Amino acid sequence: MMKRLLTAAFALLAVLGLYELPLLFSMDYYLHIFVMSEIYAVLALSLALIVGFAGQVSMGHAAFYGMGAYVSALLSVRFGWSFWVTFWLAGLFAGAVSWGIGRLVLRLRGHVLAITTAFFGVLVTVVMNNWIPVTNGPMGIAGIPRPTPLFPGSLRFVFESRLHYYYLGLFFVAGVLFVLYRLVNSRLGDAMVAIRENEELARSLGIDAMKSKVFAFTVGGGIAGLAGAFYAHYILFISPVTFTMSESINMLVMVIFGGMSTLFGPVLGAVALTILPEFLRMAGEMRLVIYGVALVCFIIWLPMGVWGTLRNRLFSGRE
Amino acid sequence: MTTVFFQQMLNGVILGCIYALIALGLSLIYGILEMANFAHGEFYMLGAFMALFSMTLLGVPFFAAMLIAMAGMALFSALTERFIFRPIVGKPLINSMLLSFGLSTALANLALYFFRADPRKITSGLAGIRFRFMGLFLTGERLMILILSVVLVLCLAWFIQYTRMGKAMRAVAQDRTAAQLAGINVRRVYSVTFAVSGALAAAAGTMVGAMFFVSPEMGFTVVLKSFVIVILGGFGSVKGVIFAAILIGLTESLGGGFISYAYKDAYPFLLLVLLFILRPEGLTGGNR
Repeated sequence: MMKRLLTAAFALLAVLGLYELPLLFSMDYYLHIFVMSEIYAVLALSLALIVGFAGQVSMGHAAFYGMGAYVSALLSVRFGWSFWVTFWLAGLFAGAVSWGIGRLVLRLRGHVLAITTAFFGVLVTVVMNNWIPVTNGPMGIAGIPRPTPLFPGSLRFVFESRLHYYYLGLFFVAGVLFVLYRLVNSRLGDAMVAIRENEELARSLGIDAMKSKVFAFTVGGGIAGLAGAFYAHYILFISPVTFTMSESINMLVMVIFGGMSTLFGPVLGAVALTILPEFLRMAGEMRLVIYGVALVCFIIWLPMGVWGTLRNRLFSGRE
Repeated sequence: MTTVFFQQMLNGVILGCIYALIALGLSLIYGILEMANFAHGEFYMLGAFMALFSMTLLGVPFFAAMLIAMAGMALFSALTERFIFRPIVGKPLINSMLLSFGLSTALANLALYFFRADPRKITSGLAGIRFRFMGLFLTGERLMILILSVVLVLCLAWFIQYTRMGKAMRAVAQDRTAAQLAGINVRRVYSVTFAVSGALAAAAGTMVGAMFFVSPEMGFTVVLKSFVIVILGGFGSVKGVIFAAILIGLTESLGGGFISYAYKDAYPFLLLVLLFILRPEGLTGGNR
C-alpha cells in the first residue's frame, strides 16, 4: 500500500516536473535540447528492445530512423499528405524493411550480425546520397511541413513553437514507453530475455528464437521510423549526414550508458548524452576527439552503464 | 571492351591484395583476442601519414619510409593494446566494438585537426615506369605494390606457421586457457598480435597513399570492408581472407567500372547478403 502510494506520488511529481520544465528553461536553445532528448529517448528505447532485451547487437539502427524521416518527409512534401498520416506510414515502412532485413540477418550472431547491420546502414546512406531523383541526394529535403493542427472537440492544438513539439514529444515518449513496458512484461518479452541469456536453452524450451528476434527487430525498427518522422517534421529539413553510422553508434552508446536491460536506463542515457555533448561545443574542433576519448574511458571503467553500476552499488546484497 | 574488363580485373586484384593486408590484421585480432577493432582503419591512416612525413620531412626514400611506418605503427598498435584494449579482454563483444569506435573517432579527428583534410599523395617515384602487355597497362608502382603485398602476406603466413611466436598465437586462438597452462605468455602474444596487425595496416596505408592519396578519413570505409572480408573469408583462415579480399577488390573494381561507381561502397554488403542467401551457415560453415 505504502509502496503504491509512493509510486503514485513519484509519478505525479515526474509528470508535473516534465510539464513545468520548459517554463523554467524557456530559452529556445534549451527547448531544442529537450525535444532532441525526447527523440533520442525513443530511439534508445527502440534499440534497447533489440540489444538489451533480445540481445542482438545492431549497428545500423540509424538506417531505420533515416528511412522513417525520408518516407514521412517525401510523402508530405511531394503529395501534401498530413503528418498524422505520414507519421504512421513512416513507422510501417521502417518496420516492414526491418522485418525483411531481420529475417535475412538475424540468423547471424555476435560480430557478424553487428558488422552486417552496420553495412546495411552504410547501404542506406549510399542510397540516400545517390538516388537523387527521389531523395535529392546530399542536398537533402527542405520545406517539410509542420504537423497540421488538431481539433479534438472544441480544443485546438497547433504545432508551431518548440514548446508545442516538446509536449507532443512527451506523449510520444510516454506512448512508446507504454507499448514497450507491456511488451517486455509479456511472454514474448520473457522469450526475448531467454534468447539473450542462452539461445540454445531457449530453443530447447520450445521458444521460436528466430520469430522472437525478428519481432523485436521489427518493432524496434518501426519505432525508430516513427522517431524519424517526428524528427523530419520538427527540424523541417533532412539530409543523409544525419543518419550515418556514427548516429547508430551514438544510439548504442546511449543504450549502454544508461544500462541495457531496463526501460529507464535508455531514457536516462538518451537525455544525458544529448545534454552532455552540448558542453563540448566550446571545444570546437576537438569536440569529437573528446567524445571518442570519453567513450573509451567509459567502456573501460563503467562497462555496466551508469544506471547499472549505480543500481549495483545501491542495491547490492538486496536481491 | 575485353581490354577494359581485364584492366579492371587487374586493378581489382591489386586492390584486393591491399585489402588482404588490412583484413588479415583484423582477422588476427579477432581470432586471438576475440575483439572487433574498428580503430584498425585509423592505424592504416596513421601509417600512411607516417610514411608521408618520413618522406617529406626526413627525405628518406619510399621503401625506407614504408619500413619506418610499419615499425612506428607496430609500436603504436602494441601500446594501444597494452593501455586501451587489455582492460576489456574477455568482456562482451559490444564493449570492444564501442571502445574501438571511440578510439577510431578520437584518432580520426585528431588527425583531421593536425594534418587537415586536404588529400596528399605519396610519391614512390615508380609511377612513371609503364609496362604494357596484351593491351593492359601496369605502372611500375602498381607492380611493386602487387609484389610487396604478396611478399608481406607470405611473410605473415610463414611467421604464423613456423615461428615459436606464431605457434603460440595459434595456440591462444584455439584455446586461451589451455595455452596459458602450457606456459605461453598470453599477454606477450596479445602485444605481438597487435604489433603485427598495426605493421600490416601501415604497409597497406603507405601503398594506398602511393596509388591514390592520404587523408584523415581514409580509414573508415576500409575498416568496414575489411570486416566483410573477414566474415566472407571465415574467421581465422588466412587463405579464406586472401580469397575474400580479392573477391571484394574485384567486385568493387568491376562493379564500379561497369554498373555504377556511386554505389561501389554498397557492393560488399550485397555480396554478404548473397552469401547469406546461398549459404545461410556462412562461407565456412558454423559462424561464431
